[in-house]
Amino acid sequence: MSGLWRARFLHGELKNMKIKVRFLAYFRDLFGEREKEVRLPEGAHLRQLLEVLCDSPERRAQVFVEEKKLNPHAVIMKNGRPVQSSGGLDALLADGDVIAVFPYLGGG
Amino acid sequence: MSSVPSGYHGKILEVDLSSGRIDTVSLDPDLAADYLGGRGLGARIFYDRINPSCEPLGPENVLVVATSPLIGTNAPTAGRGHMVFKSPLTGSIGTSNCGGTWAAVFKSTGFDVLVLRGKASAPVMIDIKPDKVEVLPAGHLWGLDVHQTTEALSSANEPGLRPRILCIGPAGENKVRFAAVFNDKDRPYGRGGGGAVFGSKNLKAIRVSGQKKIQVQDKEKYQAGLDQAYYLLKQAPATKRLLRELGTSGLVELINLINMLPHRNFQDTWHREEDVEKVSGETLAKKLLERAAGCYLCPIGCQRHTRVGDKKGEGPEYETMVMIGPDCDIYDLEAITRANYACNELGVDTISFGGTLACAMELYESGILTSKDAEGIDFRFGNSLILEEVVRRVAYRQGIGDKLAEGSYRFASGFSRPEYSMTVKKQEIPAYEPRASFTQALGYMTCPSGACHLKGGYAVSLAFFGGAKEIPRFSLLQSPIGIRNMHNLGIIQDSLGVCRFTGFAFSTEPWARMVSGVTGLDFSTARLEETANRIAALERLFNLEAGLTSADDLLPERFSREPIVVAGEGKIISREDQEKMRRDYYLARGWDEEGKPTPSLLKSLRIKKRNP
Repeated sequence: MSGLWRARFLHGELKNMKIKVRFLAYFRDLFGEREKEVRLPEGAHLRQLLEVLCDSPERRAQVFVEEKKLNPHAVIMKNGRPVQSSGGLDALLADGDVIAVFPYLGGG
Repeated sequence: MSSVPSGYHGKILEVDLSSGRIDTVSLDPDLAADYLGGRGLGARIFYDRINPSCEPLGPENVLVVATSPLIGTNAPTAGRGHMVFKSPLTGSIGTSNCGGTWAAVFKSTGFDVLVLRGKASAPVMIDIKPDKVEVLPAGHLWGLDVHQTTEALSSANEPGLRPRILCIGPAGENKVRFAAVFNDKDRPYGRGGGGAVFGSKNLKAIRVSGQKKIQVQDKEKYQAGLDQAYYLLKQAPATKRLLRELGTSGLVELINLINMLPHRNFQDTWHREEDVEKVSGETLAKKLLERAAGCYLCPIGCQRHTRVGDKKGEGPEYETMVMIGPDCDIYDLEAITRANYACNELGVDTISFGGTLACAMELYESGILTSKDAEGIDFRFGNSLILEEVVRRVAYRQGIGDKLAEGSYRFASGFSRPEYSMTVKKQEIPAYEPRASFTQALGYMTCPSGACHLKGGYAVSLAFFGGAKEIPRFSLLQSPIGIRNMHNLGIIQDSLGVCRFTGFAFSTEPWARMVSGVTGLDFSTARLEETANRIAALERLFNLEAGLTSADDLLPERFSREPIVVAGEGKIISREDQEKMRRDYYLARGWDEEGKPTPSLLKSLRIKKRNP
């Protein structure tokens, strides 16, 4: 998180956003729930949301690779669209966004 | 080439059921090198023997089962057979791939390919042992279901060897146009009506046992590919654990999340979340799953061995779950599972069954299929009580079942309302909504054997879950090339006799090493790609000769007229967009704008057309 952004938030210049996060398949066990609401200051990006969520080494390992990149086996969708094609971790979040976290999986 | 490469036995078994004549023919080494095995080699051998205008349920139809050079090695999942025939459902090439164990044991009898033609005068079975092939009377098996037939034939036909059974149920005997052929009781060559072709030939079953091995030419190269494949399969969560834990139905909630789960005969993709949860892979695992298992040499293990009450069986898979379930507005897990058991036992393809039932339900609710026509069956959407009874009537062609057994296109056309049939080339669209992904839509349109999620390119993984391979799902520009590439990957996997699900871990590189190691030929990934282009062009040639045209490569009207909501926006896939993507797909394949492979392409791919 950038220092300026954090400072503005702490000084009450930024409002809180509510982001809904939904977990599927093994991410449900990993995060211990199906759905979670996260409050973040406006201007937050997906990266900041995931940093808040991944508060243990196990969680980090399933979501990030090489510390800062998205794990290619994790698919993250913002409002029904994969973020990999729209900014990835730098995708800007807005109040009311629904983020889904699920594994790369198919079937037949 | 002068001799057949290592990895092949070099023998084709040809059985003419009309005369009872059994021949062993040498496999042309050049065909093996150019068409590899499975789907490719099967298509070439089929093409060289078939009259493309023949009646699919007549004695002239030819049915080929082909194995690959990897079958007989210890390569992961390499035990899948491929069946090629003229489809009684679509009139196009029927091409169906299947796991289980039968194909691997068939190859160990010393043959690479089986060719069937003609029609026996009374029910028969074929018994294949390493040194003896016989056509035997099977009147005592006629009428038995798939499980009963398998059990009746499972006692050893050769001391010390356990035989494997490929057979049809009553649906195949009664020439239901979407009857399947099963091995290991519950593993079907599902789509396109291969079971009806068996039935039309009075062929009930094929029993095999053997133990002949194949040679690996370059063991180091083979081992390098094998090590790479196993390493990668253990890295990807889908192949490492997810498919084993949740089965393919683990997809249900994901597909719903992206508005792609069909509902009420593809009228919309709106479901209550609590309903979707009732038919998810998670719920299946909690409530009905007894154990997961794998096909021959499979480390992935997606099979669902389940129990409902005192009844045991296999399934449901994702497609079955959704086509018999939510697409019919049914969310009753036990009822769907029981219907799946009935389809397996009586020998019916679950995807076409679900699609045909959903079509009947919509016709019923629209007042077109009347209560009188429906013979007292309440075909309202959501009525799970009728499922097993409808499967039974279809399999035995009783009453309305006789009409449903023709598939949804012919059924709806009987009411002069073919637009109620959600099909491409008269084959039911599987459980991914095409308006929610143009790549998926184009895959259905251009699949040579009619709408199919697997041979149509498995686009759902490309459009959403592909990581680096991902392409936007509404891209008119990228879909044609993306689908061509996915078709090619599928053709390569089908021609190597390996499972589509390995694609979650790796593409073709480990396979290229392994098949080069086995055969001693240099199969680079580029050569595999060229092989796929050759096979795609050959399948297309057959379809054109059978009378299909580019007009058969379009979706039903519903998808261009009635919008669904995807991520908050109304989506259709207009006829104009379909035509544009179709043309771009043809051109990306090196075909002309009408979808005909050009003479220069055929020459560069060394494809010989049949003698006119």
